[in-house]
Amino acid sequence: MKLYVPHVGHLEGLEELLAGSNDIYAVYMAGSPDHVGTGRTNLSAPKLEDIAIQTEYAHEKGVKLEVILNSSCMGGQHLSPEGYRMINWYFDKLNNIGIDSITVADPYLVEMLARDYEMEVVVSVLSFVDSPQKAEFYEQLGADTIVVDSAVNRHFDKLEAIKESTSCNLKLLVNEGCLYQCPFRYAHFNFFSHANGPGPKPNVVDDYYYYKCLSFRIRNPELILKSPWIRPEDIKEYKHITDTFKIGGRTHFVNWILNLVNAYANESYEGNLMDLLDCPKDLKDLFYISNKELEGALSQWKQCEKVCSRCGYCKRLADKVTQVYSTEGTEEFLIQLSCIGE
Amino acid sequence: MTLTEELLIARGELENNLRNLLGIPVFLIEMDGFALPCGCSGATINIRGLQVDDLEIFEEQILKYLNNAAENLEIEPSFIFARLIPGTSEVASLNIRMLCNRCYMDFARGSGKQPRPDIYILRFDRRT
Repeated sequence: MKLYVPHVGHLEGLEELLAGSNDIYAVYMAGSPDHVGTGRTNLSAPKLEDIAIQTEYAHEKGVKLEVILNSSCMGGQHLSPEGYRMINWYFDKLNNIGIDSITVADPYLVEMLARDYEMEVVVSVLSFVDSPQKAEFYEQLGADTIVVDSAVNRHFDKLEAIKESTSCNLKLLVNEGCLYQCPFRYAHFNFFSHANGPGPKPNVVDDYYYYKCLSFRIRNPELILKSPWIRPEDIKEYKHITDTFKIGGRTHFVNWILNLVNAYANESYEGNLMDLLDCPKDLKDLFYISNKELEGALSQWKQCEKVCSRCGYCKRLADKVTQVYSTEGTEEFLIQLSCIGE
Repeated sequence: MTLTEELLIARGELENNLRNLLGIPVFLIEMDGFALPCGCSGATINIRGLQVDDLEIFEEQILKYLNNAAENLEIEPSFIFARLIPGTSEVASLNIRMLCNRCYMDFARGSGKQPRPDIYILRFDRRT
């Protein structure tokens, strides 16, 4: 199995990460937000010299290094002559540094990279490749690898069709906790792309999309189970699709990342499912869902027609397996979800 | 008991009360005591899962819980409000605030429960 693992972006973090596991095939990190930006929050904004030092260090350890520039919205700047020159300059520098791969979300950048550079061109999960047709388009643009839209992680018919239709390598993001068929998905990533891109940066007090995402789950905890994450134990079900899996979580501590590397490398995890999910981070202090109690759920999801109003499986499962952290004084304990309000 | 211990206990108690009232696991994500340069002070409770409808329907009970929390934290509960995400049903935070004279005047000039799109007033004691 090839595990792509998030890296917080500074050398100290990389040293700690690579010292902690021999199961890491590649690490990925954001680039500088001054040029393209990324569709997710980052802890660091590494300069080119930082990326060069870290690439050399990763290579010494036999680990590949990928830079993520997956802004889903650049406001058209990349299509202007100035934007093109700036991005081309940045790609040149990254290429000269010797990074192994570069992940982008914009189709224009896919083609630009494929034509002019040797770096592996990876289509971001934020390109939302969820069909064989879209995969074929990206292949024609020159993509080497596609991170499949995690929304189809439990649609094996689509995964198999994508696999059949393209010669690109496929990568699956295993622990994104986003809502299944999230109504905020595009708007939220576009917002992040501006907040973590070259600017002008929006002055936002409250991240509406995030608050609403939390609110939906707090009021309907079964939505956590409907999110298309892949349990470590279920990796084996995907091996006919790909051997390459990506762990999300660039803003987490190194020990959190290593915990996930161990879980996915060993294909087993004893503990709270919420520990494994990249987002929403805050809910791990609210819900406890025993990962082991979800054994067998994938069999249902594999044959699920995704019409929740007819089925109700996830709701019943959530009622059974979800516990809620509660406090009495300063003591914390767990109560069953169904006991709330009784 | 230290201030932080009092905050921990008040956070848990308020969370339990709201959960029992609403029957959903509302989440008090953070409770902070604050002191501002203008002279205002109080507590802010960042909350997720609470909506404006809940405030409107259960205002009496929620206000009682907030008054109790204020009392336990030795904050005079003369101004209690929810901060909303404007134009939505989401409550971002609950706030218990002892207003300085300048800020008091700002709020005293307004009227109604929503003097601004982001504020829903649960209690405002006018000074005589």
